[in-house]
Order: sequence, then structure tokens, then C-alpha cells
Amino acid sequence: MIHALRLLARMYRVQIHSQLQYPLSFIMDLLSSALILGFFFVAFALTLTRFESIGGWTLGEVAFIWGITEFSFGTMDMVFSGFDYDSFGPIIRKGQFDQLLLRPANITLQVLGSRFVIRRLGRMAEGLLIFLFGLSRIQLDWSLLKILYVPLLSISQILFFGSLFIIGATTTFWTMERLEILNIFTYGGAEVMSYPMHIFPRPIRMIFTYLVPSIFLSYFPAVYLLGKPDPLNAPAFVSFLAPVIAMLMLWLALRFWRFGIRNYQSSGS
Amino acid sequence: MKSMIHVRDLHKTFRVYRNHKGYLGALRNLFDRKYDLTHAVDGISFDIHPGELVGYIGPNGAGKSTTIKILTGLLVPSAGEVIANGHIPWKERKRYVRDIGAVFGQRTTLWWDLPLTDSLDLLRHIYQIPEDLYQSNFGLFREILALDHFINTPVRALSLGQRMRADLCAAFLHNPSLVFLDEPTIGLDVIAKRRIREFIQYINQERHTTILLTTHDISDIARLCERVMIIDHGRILFNGKLADLLETFGGRRLLNVEFAEEYPSPTLDGADIIYRNGVNIHYSFQRRSVSASALIRRLSENYRIKDLSVEDQPIEDTIREIYENRLLYYDTDDE
Repeated sequence: MIHALRLLARMYRVQIHSQLQYPLSFIMDLLSSALILGFFFVAFALTLTRFESIGGWTLGEVAFIWGITEFSFGTMDMVFSGFDYDSFGPIIRKGQFDQLLLRPANITLQVLGSRFVIRRLGRMAEGLLIFLFGLSRIQLDWSLLKILYVPLLSISQILFFGSLFIIGATTTFWTMERLEILNIFTYGGAEVMSYPMHIFPRPIRMIFTYLVPSIFLSYFPAVYLLGKPDPLNAPAFVSFLAPVIAMLMLWLALRFWRFGIRNYQSSGS
Repeated sequence: MKSMIHVRDLHKTFRVYRNHKGYLGALRNLFDRKYDLTHAVDGISFDIHPGELVGYIGPNGAGKSTTIKILTGLLVPSAGEVIANGHIPWKERKRYVRDIGAVFGQRTTLWWDLPLTDSLDLLRHIYQIPEDLYQSNFGLFREILALDHFINTPVRALSLGQRMRADLCAAFLHNPSLVFLDEPTIGLDVIAKRRIREFIQYINQERHTTILLTTHDISDIARLCERVMIIDHGRILFNGKLADLLETFGGRRLLNVEFAEEYPSPTLDGADIIYRNGVNIHYSFQRRSVSASALIRRLSENYRIKDLSVEDQPIEDTIREIYENRLLYYDTDDE
């Protein structure tokens, strides 16, 4: 376990080193991604100022929760980008996944370590700024629990979004199958097969991509943190479900991931 | 002697799905899936002993890659038994791969964006190679493989020959007992090929590393391997000494003649014309049935000869004839 973590740290370190080789372009990247994403919030904020509030939420309150989510997503995108389709798709397509299987190290760890995008610091900084802006505009009734819950909420969001990345990466095992099979039988003259890969129907994907995170990983926690009245009249514990849901999601994602790897090994690449 | 690789009655069957066309067809595919079965590996058995360097050849699509993928644990077979270096490859992946090496000529195990040194250093940690072993192996390999002038270059910027040498170095750093080399000389020039062959030979002789070598280039096999296995249509057609194979199926020689003048049809009993261009004619004959001196005597009795030479048929041509003419087929019911 310690060996695994040290290996992961080493894989991150060499990538950070190579990404920082051109510091000027790195800084430009950082600023531009922070600015572009920041504009979304500015545009939203300008619209909101004309209405005072939406659904009883002020600009400061929205900024508070927006900032946390933005920070979490940026962090997730930095750490989990090995599972990003853009990165993992080519690993499967080019057969590089075989190379991971040939090394005596945990596969999940190797994928996690395969890409670490330090540029995402821009998005994290942008999220942090929006969060601080929100804090400055609201009077928050802080308690120790609330202070502890903000980082816990962020970690939950990171794990939840990361789980979605893992699930997305796993589907690649099937979507690529027909192309790879084709390669094997170039000379066998086999027919092209079409694999119906939509393991998750669209409604379910929508639910887990938008509905669950927005309700359990930001709305209810925000209701508690900001002390807002809840028109849905949900019981109080619902505000604390975020870590539970995140862990559940991660567990499901990792099970699906292992199932995908097993399938890959038995079906051929 | 105990086997390094023990394979018995190995099968791998792939399902190749047929699809229905159109939108409705896509829906039908979900429930009603028809498929054909392809027997990529169709019941093969063999043993490889510790320290052997065995060539594994066959035409495209014969089942070579599928076999290698099963032996390296990348693929689970449909049936059969494999014990390699004391492990069942696909069941004990992490323990098994710790003590093997593999080079797939078409791919690299190195990190694309990292300098070669960084890639090798990561591998050192992944394989947990002790520092002194790493240093002595790396020092030796960088010399034999001449890695020095691109050691700090990112892998993506290496030429194919440089990358292959780097990959070979990576595959042997942890002193594996068993190594699979799949097309390690594909697309390389003569000099790079020679360097790689010398390295493979050195490792096999000095370290007694067991090596299974897949290649299209028969000259690799001729230089390196005493034993060769030929696979086609998923079956092992020949498993034995290369010299025996050539003795049985080869033994053809070429008689290349330059005549003093052009003859309309300078036929020669006991030899076939395989090439003709003006006064230059190449004959092919079976060494066992006729001697070169007899042929030359016959020729000089009937024609005026300016120059001639006799040579053995290249091994490549012998092997190609075996593939093309199905010389080794012992049953034909599947054709």
C-alpha cells in the first residue's frame, strides 16, 4: 500500500516536472482556463443582479456553493484525468492497456497515475475565488460542524465526479471492442460486428450526471450550511448524505471497472 | 527437466458478431445476436525448457499473437492448460508479470511524453529493482544497445529503431526469467536489426533467459534460434530444429547462369527455370536428386556459357514455400 502510494506520487512528480518545462506557456494556460470559466460566473452574476435573487437565494449564496463545486470539479479533473475519455480512449484503442496489464502494479493505480494535469490549478483557483466572493457577501452562522463539513463536502464531490469518470472510462472496454476485433481478423475475413454499447440508458446517465449531484451533493448540503428554509421539507439528515452517496458511487464505479477489466481479458483486444 | 512454458491442448475461440442493419437492426442486436466462431488457436501443445531461445513463426492471422497474448496473461483461453514460469498467466497476473518481460514491436511500454531516463526510472520502481542491480544492468544495456545519445529524449521523439532498443532495455532491466519478443525487428534497418539480434543473443547466452521470439523476418530465426515452431490456422505444424526443417523441405539450390549468347529455350533436365532476363537465367534444382556438377556439364555440352554461380536457396524462400504450398498439412478436412 505504501509502495503503491509512493509509486503514484512518483508518477505525478515526473509529469509535473515535464509539464513545468515551459513555465510561461504553463502560466498562460492557467490564467486562460481560470478566466474563461470565470466568465460563466460573471455572466450569471450580472443576470442575477437584475432579479435580486433566484428562488430566495442571493448572489452570495449561489457563489458560495458554485465556488465549492467548481473547486471540486477542477481538483477531480486534475487527479482523475487518467480516466478521462480523451486520455483513456486512446489507451484502449492503441492497445496500450495491454502494457499496463504487463506491469506488476495495480491497474487502477496505473491509470490514475497515467495523467496528472497540473493546469487544472487554474480552475481550482477560480472556484476558490468565487467561493471567497460568496463568503464576503453573506453572513454565515458558522459552527465547528459547518467548518468541517465544507472540506468533507468538497471531497465527496471530487469522489462523485471521479466515479463518473471511471464509469465513462469503463464503457470504453466495450465501445472499442469491435475495432480491435477487426484488427485481429484482418486476414480472417471476418465480418464487422456491431456492439450495442449503451450499458447505461440515457435517462439513468442523466440522473447520475445532473440530478443526483445537484440535489444531494450541493442543494441539500447548501441548505444546511447556509441555513436556508427547504421548500421540499426533507428531513435534516439528507443534508449529510453527500459523503455516503459519494462512497456508494465510488464503490459501484470500481466494481464496474473491475468487471470491465475482466471482460477485456476474456474477450481479447 | 522442468518446463519453463508448458502448454497443453490450448484453444481460443472468438465470437464474431453479425449485425442487423439500420436503427431497428441496432435494437434487434440487443436481443437477437448471431455470431460466427473463429478458432484463433485450435488445440496447441508444446513445452519450452529453461534457457531455450525458440522461434515462433507463421503467416499473418495464423494465431501467433493470440498465443502470445494468452502466454503473457493478457487473454484468457477458451480451454486448455498453460503453466509458465510456475504460474497460470491469466490467474496470477501481478505475481507472474513480475518475473517476465515482453516487447511488442508495434507498441511501447515507455511513457510517451517522458524522457527515456524517467521512463526507465519509473519501471525501476514498478518492478522494485534494487538500486545496484538496476545500475549494473542499465550500464551494460545502454552500451550494447547504444542508448547514450538519446537517453534524455522524450520517447515520442525517438526513431523506430531507437524506440525498439529502448523497449528491449526496459524489458530486461529486472532480470526476468522468461521474455516474449513479438516482432522486435519489424520495420528496422539492417544495422538496427543486427544490434538487436546481438543483444538478444547476449542475454540468452549470458543470463540463460528463456526467450520466445515471434517474427516475420526468418533471418532473425536463422541467426538466433535452434528450435522453431510453425503455426498456421491455429495449429502447430512443425516443432523442432530449424536444421531438420530445412533438411526435409529445403535443400533446393540455385544455379545462376550468364550465357555467351541468347538462346530461345535453354532447358535443362533436372532443373526449373525460375528467372529469365536476356542471357541471365536462374535454375532451381533439388540437391538430393541432381548434383551441380552434372547440371553444369549438361549445360556446357549444349550451350556457350560466360559465367555461373551456385547458391543455396534463401531460408525465407523455403519457409514461404512451406506456407504457400501447405507442405506441412497433415489433414485437409478444414479447408
